[in-house]
Amino acid sequence: MWEGIYIGVTTAVMPFNLLMMFVGCFAGTFIGMLPGLGPVSAVALMIPVTYGLDPSSGIILMAGVYYGAVFGASTSSILINAPGCASTVVTAFDGYPMAQQGKAGKALALAAYSSFTGGTIGAIFLVLFAPMLAKVSLSFQSSDYFALMVLGLTAVAAFAGKGNILKALMMCILGLMLSTVGTDRSNGVERFTYGSIEFIDGLSFLLLAMATFALAEVVMSVMDKTTNAQQAQSNDASALGSMKLTKAEIKEVAPTILRSSVLGFVVGVLPGAGATIASFLAYGVERNLSSKEDKEKFGKGSLRGLAAPESANNAASTGSFVPMLTLGIPGSGTTAVMLGALIAYGIQPGPRLFIDHPDVFWSVIVSMYLGNIVLLILNLPLIPYIAKLLEIPRSILIPLILFFSLTGVYLVSFNAFDIQVMVIICICAIGLKLLDFPLAPMLLGFILGGMLEDNLRRALLINDESMSFLWERPLTAVIMSLAMLALFGQPLLNLLRAKLRQGKTQDVFDAE
Amino acid sequence: MTLAKDRIGALIFLALSIGYGLSIPLIPDYPGDEYEIFTAKTLPTALAIIGGLLSLALLYGARGEEKSALPELDWAIAFKLIALMVSYGLILESLGFLIATTIFLLCGYWLLGERRKWLLFSCSLPLVLCFWYGLTQLLDIYLAPGVVMQWMGM
Repeated sequence: MWEGIYIGVTTAVMPFNLLMMFVGCFAGTFIGMLPGLGPVSAVALMIPVTYGLDPSSGIILMAGVYYGAVFGASTSSILINAPGCASTVVTAFDGYPMAQQGKAGKALALAAYSSFTGGTIGAIFLVLFAPMLAKVSLSFQSSDYFALMVLGLTAVAAFAGKGNILKALMMCILGLMLSTVGTDRSNGVERFTYGSIEFIDGLSFLLLAMATFALAEVVMSVMDKTTNAQQAQSNDASALGSMKLTKAEIKEVAPTILRSSVLGFVVGVLPGAGATIASFLAYGVERNLSSKEDKEKFGKGSLRGLAAPESANNAASTGSFVPMLTLGIPGSGTTAVMLGALIAYGIQPGPRLFIDHPDVFWSVIVSMYLGNIVLLILNLPLIPYIAKLLEIPRSILIPLILFFSLTGVYLVSFNAFDIQVMVIICICAIGLKLLDFPLAPMLLGFILGGMLEDNLRRALLINDESMSFLWERPLTAVIMSLAMLALFGQPLLNLLRAKLRQGKTQDVFDAE
Repeated sequence: MTLAKDRIGALIFLALSIGYGLSIPLIPDYPGDEYEIFTAKTLPTALAIIGGLLSLALLYGARGEEKSALPELDWAIAFKLIALMVSYGLILESLGFLIATTIFLLCGYWLLGERRKWLLFSCSLPLVLCFWYGLTQLLDIYLAPGVVMQWMGM
């Protein structure tokens, strides 16, 4: 492990990689602050930039952007009550009331310290657990991988659907359908190209990610009149107040930060759960643990109410790298985009990553920690200036983001047809968002589609064209059972509860 | 405007699954494929069936769904931005990167309500020129000059 850490440190502290870390953290903070654009959009916007870099530098840049965007989203939550992404919605519950009370500086500083601690604890856990999990998963066979992909898809659907598993599953299927467009990798047969040479190579991951997460999000934010109103309000965000925390305040929030960081990491490791659930859960846990007096402060500018989601979402962001790096299954929408970028580099994330590309594996882990330090150094003194960025008119920013998204894709393929395809996908994505369909499962389905098909094909070949491996091989059976549990656990639990309630009511009637 | 979101979503996805399923016979077969358990058609067939079943399940679940109002949205600006992006794709290769991108940015700022001339021009041509210089001169990326530039002998 120490040798790996040494490789990681030497790669991450190379001057160019350090520069990438700074650039990533700064760009991420800036993009994340824009209402409507979260970490997924920020990372998607960076993909074209990383194509010109070597894999380690590229992934370090994207990790920095991820962290920066999560922090940036908190800034807009606190200052203008406009969360940049779902994971910072909870931050606004207590952060914005603090800003209204003239304590915006304190809220931002507390958010920065909480994020730093959450990220640091997450990075330490990542160093401890990722290599262990990677070693265990070396014994995995094609059938286990197939089961893992099914688990990834079902878990993401179960969590990302916000209660509507069906819609999330449908989006996974849509992603899988899109992944079948183009030439079949195994036997070279063209599928769903309808004779067009433009589709022979299939749809580009970059194009799909940019169209759904950058273009669609931007157009939606322009369409949304409430976001526009919040932006108009943002010009009042200049008065920040003091950024210092007293000893008593630090003593008050320290246990909260530690608890929430551990909780955040554990939730982040679960495929599909991600930072949003972690932040909501940490806020809920903290509220339940506090005294009656403190409980009333929640929602009115409680320090603990702000520290809990902030540390949890950063720890969860780090935790979501564990399944991506060790199993090749993304833990969140953002890591799904990063997984796609790694595959585009020709690097297959999964158990062999730390053997075949130790520099990438370890430099990501080390850069996680260094990224936290950079974020603290960069953002704490720069908060007053970063807040000023919120004053840049949207009329200038939006066309620039559209331009970078479109050009980002064009500069990879040099084919203007891709711009038209992007616009069509963007229109479809807007329609899907309006109908409350989550888009992250679609991207995950698209990324995992090819691998899922290859592994299923190989597993069938190895097992004499029999599906019996699903129940005969213990590891596959366990993973498939987990997938089924993720899919049917909640509905079954609800059904059981309803039956129990019905039974109780019947007993009461019988007694009467 | 009110609509039953789940029902519409389910119907669209059902149509998509049927269309996808109907396209599967267009995938060519290799000789001997009939003896294989897994061919290029296997996964698409499974996906079409699962997609159809999920749509029907959503449709069944949405029987009692109440119509909900769409959030207040500015549709006009969305259509204008989409038209702008389509136009950019159409003019990019004929007018060239420099002219097409400058027009795209100018129109974008204008559409979103920016009327200050100094801001309109300072955030378009100089920015595009810097970007173009960085790409072509520093990173050595070839950008087609476009028909207009070629006519002008550039």
